Amino acid sequence: MRKSSLFFLGLTAEVIVFSFLLVHASLSESFQQDVLAQKSALVKTLRLTDLCLFTEARYTRHLSQADLNTAFQDHPLSLEHFPSGSFTQPYVKNETP
Amino acid sequence: MIELVNVKKVFNAGNPSEFSALNSVNLEIAQNKVTVLKGPSGSGKTTLLSIVGCMSRPSAGRVKLNGREITSLPERFLTDIRRTTFGFIFQQPNLIKGISVLENVMLPAYPLGEKRAHLKMKALNGLAGLNLSSKASSQVEWLSGGEAQRVSIVRALINDPSIIIADEPTAHLDTKLSYRFMEIVEKFKAEGKTVIITSHDPLVYDSAMVDHVVNLRDGKIEDE
Amino acid sequence: MTPWIEKQRYIIDFTISSLLRRKVKNIGLLTLYTLIVFILASTMFFTHSIKKEAAIILQGSPEIVVQKIIAGRHDLFPISYIDSIKSIRGIANVETRLWGYYYDSLVGANYTLLSPPDNSGTTQLSGKTTAVETDPDDAEALAATKPLFEYNGALLEPGTLIIGNGVSRMRNISKGDYMPFMAADGQIMNLKVSGTLSSSSELVSSDLILITDEDFRKLFGIAPQFVTDAIVTVKNPNEVSMVAGKIKKRLLDSRPIIRDEILRTYDSIFNWRGGMMIVIFSAAVLAFVIFAWDKASGLSAGERREIGILKAVGWETSDVIQMKFWEGAMISLTAFFTGVILAYIHVFFAGSPVFEPALKGWSSLYPNFALTPFINAEQITTLFFLTVVPYTVATIVPTWRAATIDPDSAMRQTGE
Repeated sequence: MRKSSLFFLGLTAEVIVFSFLLVHASLSESFQQDVLAQKSALVKTLRLTDLCLFTEARYTRHLSQADLNTAFQDHPLSLEHFPSGSFTQPYVKNETP
Repeated sequence: MIELVNVKKVFNAGNPSEFSALNSVNLEIAQNKVTVLKGPSGSGKTTLLSIVGCMSRPSAGRVKLNGREITSLPERFLTDIRRTTFGFIFQQPNLIKGISVLENVMLPAYPLGEKRAHLKMKALNGLAGLNLSSKASSQVEWLSGGEAQRVSIVRALINDPSIIIADEPTAHLDTKLSYRFMEIVEKFKAEGKTVIITSHDPLVYDSAMVDHVVNLRDGKIEDE
Repeated sequence: MTPWIEKQRYIIDFTISSLLRRKVKNIGLLTLYTLIVFILASTMFFTHSIKKEAAIILQGSPEIVVQKIIAGRHDLFPISYIDSIKSIRGIANVETRLWGYYYDSLVGANYTLLSPPDNSGTTQLSGKTTAVETDPDDAEALAATKPLFEYNGALLEPGTLIIGNGVSRMRNISKGDYMPFMAADGQIMNLKVSGTLSSSSELVSSDLILITDEDFRKLFGIAPQFVTDAIVTVKNPNEVSMVAGKIKKRLLDSRPIIRDEILRTYDSIFNWRGGMMIVIFSAAVLAFVIFAWDKASGLSAGERREIGILKAVGWETSDVIQMKFWEGAMISLTAFFTGVILAYIHVFFAGSPVFEPALKGWSSLYPNFALTPFINAEQITTLFFLTVVPYTVATIVPTWRAATIDPDSAMRQTGE
């Protein structure tokens, strides 16, 4: 087969896979409506305010509820949500009992 | 017929290294004849050939192809004339590495967008004509010097040009292969093509089939 | 087939052949390029989906949360504040929340302990407010206002817990198991797990532990006249920020947080300035600069020679530029689609294993959640213009120099 045909075949295959993924996205978006509604209902019942994404410190667990000063003074195992926070380690625990 | 009137070519114009390769060359090249441009190296043979073959423009003077002035044409038209009228055989085979012999031969026809099956047949016929059928799918790196040159000849012929231009074609060939080359030139002549060769090889310019020898020295045509 | 299409196909044939000639270099380039698209697309898919999901889910969050702040720190919210909030016009209802964190030293994780509101429907809506005001000795009143919370058949009674799926996974406990807590007075409280929150809701509930009011107060030693914060429902949704302003004015040490602020927090999460994001983006930008540098720094001697031959055998400058265009387009289109497809699989089928270490950070408890794939045309277009277009342009631009290569340069070659 000609190389150009191979290329276009490959590209077409990729475009098809990609469109399948787009279809998958829009299908699961509608399938997920129930689950989303459930989650939203849970948020409403429990009167939650935040996503449970980062559980390491109280101001990362409840991002929207953190007071404006917290980020400077929290949990020893915390990672700040300031850029510098992602480059430093938390203090290392003393392993001796 | 090709006519050159007062053609001059100056390199590095305006620089201290200014150097004029051709000085007022007047020349007529007849159709269906074999013309040899003869002269020592540096005499301007290759420059003249590239001007004749529409590869470069003269600094002054005019070139007429079949009565049509071509010096002032824009690049696109010049390229068009070049690829339909001229077939080039270089001193080096100048094949492109990494692709097959067949693809190399078809290369000049690519921009024309000819049907592939048709083009491929033409290329295979051309290769068969020079006993290269078995090499069609080989990589060019595997060819011997003589084979590589014959491949470049097939490539020069792919667009069926009426004028063949060969620059020092025998420079890298041994005597046997040089004779073989001259046989091919004879075939061109028999087919009605115009052939222009630069050479300082007596085997070429003393050959019986050569109709016209032009002597060049220091960018000027010397009288016989 | 028209000559034009045939011509393009010839040029593509030839371009692929030339790309394959430098196999190692070009496959390396393609891999690196795909990787960059993959990282960028994964980041884009992940952040966009999580933002969108947050926006949908958190629509159910309270309209206004009122905290008490002392010296820049949260303080317990006195129940006495509630009356003065209630007297503000336009407020429909004020409820209180009891919640906090518990650090589990056994596994090093933080849990969110929360006392859920009554949803059994047997007592009146503001039952909790009255509950804390009644005399605890009054057994009858206590029984009448006993918080009843039901979740999927699991009943929350004093001495029991309903735990989030992440807690269940972490501690390897489920319904019927006991979980010990160290109370504020040093006593060990052994609470029984009466149920688990659904795993599909982990994005909001992974680390939750639902606990009754009394147990919560006992565990943390919080006096009955205090709660964690209050939530306010407003009669007219348009007046939310106005009401919040009034609360702030009336209670000077309070901090009202309106729902819009919550939503905005999650809309700006993972923005480009966030530490990890800037690292990812600058790496990608640098890699592109290297690409562009490599391309724009010009044609190698071999390429110049090749272009010379092509021009000598009858290719026009425009043909050479088309060849370079296809070179750029082929590499970038292949890399783009491969990268995007892999990113989609990575984020929505595999659960973003590449980002996991970064997202987990130093936390021990991390939710397992499947993101809903929210993809829009804008994202894909942005990605396309960020990757394919610059690369293709960077490939073509130096080729303008090819126009200066004379076709007769091929004749002047003296050596290979």
